[in-house]
Amino acid sequence: MLKMHNIRKSYRTDTIETHALRDFSLEVNEGEFVSVTGPSGSGKTTFLNIAGMLETPTGGEYLLDGDNVSHLNDRQRSRLRNEKIGFIFQGFNLIPDLNLFDNIDVPLRYRGFNSKERRRRIEKVLEQVGLSARAKHLPSQLSGGQQQRVAIARALAGEPRFLLADEPTGNLDSLMARQVMELLEFINEWGTTIVMVTHDPDLARRAHRNIQIVDGQVSDLQRAVAAAEAATA
Amino acid sequence: MFGYYVSLAIRSLRGTPVLSALMVAAIAVGVGASMTVLTLNYMMSQNPLAHKDSVLYAVQLDSWDPNEAYQRSSNEMPVQLTYRDATALLRSDIPARQAAMHRYGFTVSSDDFELRPFSGEARITTRQFFALFDVPFLYGGTWDADADSSPVQQVVLSKATNEKLFGGENSVGRSIDLNGEPFTVVGVIDKWNPSPKIYDLNNGPFNEAEELYIPFGLHRKFEIYSWGNTNGWASGDSGEGYEGHLQGESVWIQYWVELQSAEQLENYRDFLTGYIREQKQQGRFQRPLKFALTRPSEWLVLNEVLSDDNRVLGWLSLAFLLVCVVNAVALMLAKFLRKAPEAGVRRALGASRQAVFVQHVIESGCIGVFGGLCGILLALVGLGTIRQLSFGYIDQVATMDWLMMLAAVGLAILASLLAGIYPAWRVSRTNPSLYLKTQ
Ligand SMILES: Nc1ncnc2c1ncn2[C@@H]1O[C@H](COP(=O)(O)OP(=O)(O)O)[C@@H](O)[C@H]1O
Ligand SMILES: [Mg+2]
Repeated sequence: MLKMHNIRKSYRTDTIETHALRDFSLEVNEGEFVSVTGPSGSGKTTFLNIAGMLETPTGGEYLLDGDNVSHLNDRQRSRLRNEKIGFIFQGFNLIPDLNLFDNIDVPLRYRGFNSKERRRRIEKVLEQVGLSARAKHLPSQLSGGQQQRVAIARALAGEPRFLLADEPTGNLDSLMARQVMELLEFINEWGTTIVMVTHDPDLARRAHRNIQIVDGQVSDLQRAVAAAEAATA
Repeated sequence: MFGYYVSLAIRSLRGTPVLSALMVAAIAVGVGASMTVLTLNYMMSQNPLAHKDSVLYAVQLDSWDPNEAYQRSSNEMPVQLTYRDATALLRSDIPARQAAMHRYGFTVSSDDFELRPFSGEARITTRQFFALFDVPFLYGGTWDADADSSPVQQVVLSKATNEKLFGGENSVGRSIDLNGEPFTVVGVIDKWNPSPKIYDLNNGPFNEAEELYIPFGLHRKFEIYSWGNTNGWASGDSGEGYEGHLQGESVWIQYWVELQSAEQLENYRDFLTGYIREQKQQGRFQRPLKFALTRPSEWLVLNEVLSDDNRVLGWLSLAFLLVCVVNAVALMLAKFLRKAPEAGVRRALGASRQAVFVQHVIESGCIGVFGGLCGILLALVGLGTIRQLSFGYIDQVATMDWLMMLAAVGLAILASLLAGIYPAWRVSRTNPSLYLKTQ
């Protein structure tokens, strides 16, 4: 469902040019749970942002569900992001002055659902993440693990087929991290494709497949292994 | 979506009360100051005779100095007539109505011992004055026809004067003393206060209407001189004394006619042309033949009721508003950029740039609504202060009507949208990933 071919992304400031991604090629299939690891600064977040169309690549080709998204305008991209993609961040990124209900409401508003449909979906996902009783609470009144569950609920409310998670457990202790991971696995079993960046090797191993990014590229070793597997197959 | 954005805006404004108050204040002060000045200008340029604008005309004749044109009006003709010309024009029966008039004053006293004599502003005029300007009568009516040319001591009172003298009751037939002479009340008019005082813009365009109205036929008997402006160019031209004044070339009479059809207008033009030709033969009107019939709306312009100073003040106040808007831009930019991370989250959740832009523009529009309402309050305070300082001189001008209040809110919303557009554009353009890359 996601196919990147020779993606390049460079950031230019006054003095330096950083190549965050170089000749980055990757394919993710429908229903997969892929974990992404790699050293800090290697380009993991940049990859997720390009996958979620928050950033445009400097070069290369990106197909989402077979469609080349580089020709789309901002409106079409936003629409696609709203319908197909859910984002989860390390810092949760809940909107502080909106309660849980209104936070989850945000993507549904842009989707244009009527209030009845929005309420139905919000109640459903709050139930899924076990926070129904807290709908009127503000994010600051919750623990980190609970906040991340709300963020997941918000990402799920639009029923996206593709979930992008950037170190979702990075700010959580190991118990809460395990709970969040279990939630993600559960979601994946119900059919949502997940790409998750993580530093935790244990969590990374629990995914169907692990990709290591080094210096803006999928690591050579993995590419060699993949090539060898392809050869034997 | 509009309702959603408004509720977000109000939540956001409540979230930063001090900053919001500063932004509202910036808009309110700018709108308050400019609306104070604009209201004054607007009220000063009102046409109280708009409903009769197509049939009323102020009459000007160029009876001025053969050697030099009249300098004090933009069409180079005196804005008043000589007594001699006014009485001659009164003899024409072409106009449906006409009125000659000028300002005067009396000491008023009555049989009532309780009442101290007071000085009353008066208008010496002809009987059709009231019908011509649509002056409503409470009791009685105008004086007899012969009172315009022969001395008949009758008077029409303003409503306030009737209240002062007779406690507001029907005083028709009663008598009052003016400068010690008995006058019979023939009518009492209802509240009437055209602003600007278009029938005599020469003598305080924002003064209140007169308290007493006196027939035109009394000039010789009481040797009445105008209390308003008198302008002359020829000295001692027609003999000595009061009769000399009446027959002289100084101008001091305002003259209005009502011409109800194009035909009447044409006939009256012919009449005036004929009159001037005839006068030329007698040695008067030595300048090129020239006269003017001017409608009320143009009369206000010709007499520069709204001075250039007023106009400059109007522009200055708008410049001040601009300064306030620039301040509001800075405040909004600070606020919106502080909230940019939230905009980043919204973008990640599917908001387009346009959606983020509209959300923030609506937030600035809400500031405009509040700023406008506070601005109206400030403008009312400003106008109230002006009324206090002017001791009633421009009471009628320094008030806000609904149209001006609406204009104030409109101006505030426009100002705040202008102030909000750039900041909103900036937030909508920022790259959301910048705020989502934690650490
Ligand atoms: N907006 C940006 N401007 C300049 N450089 C950037 C920007 N975003 C990321 N980078 C650089 O690109 C590289 C990859 O960043 P990132 O994708 O955030 O790495 P990771 O998520 O793997 O830690 C880093 O060297 C980072 O400094
Ligand atoms: Mg990162």
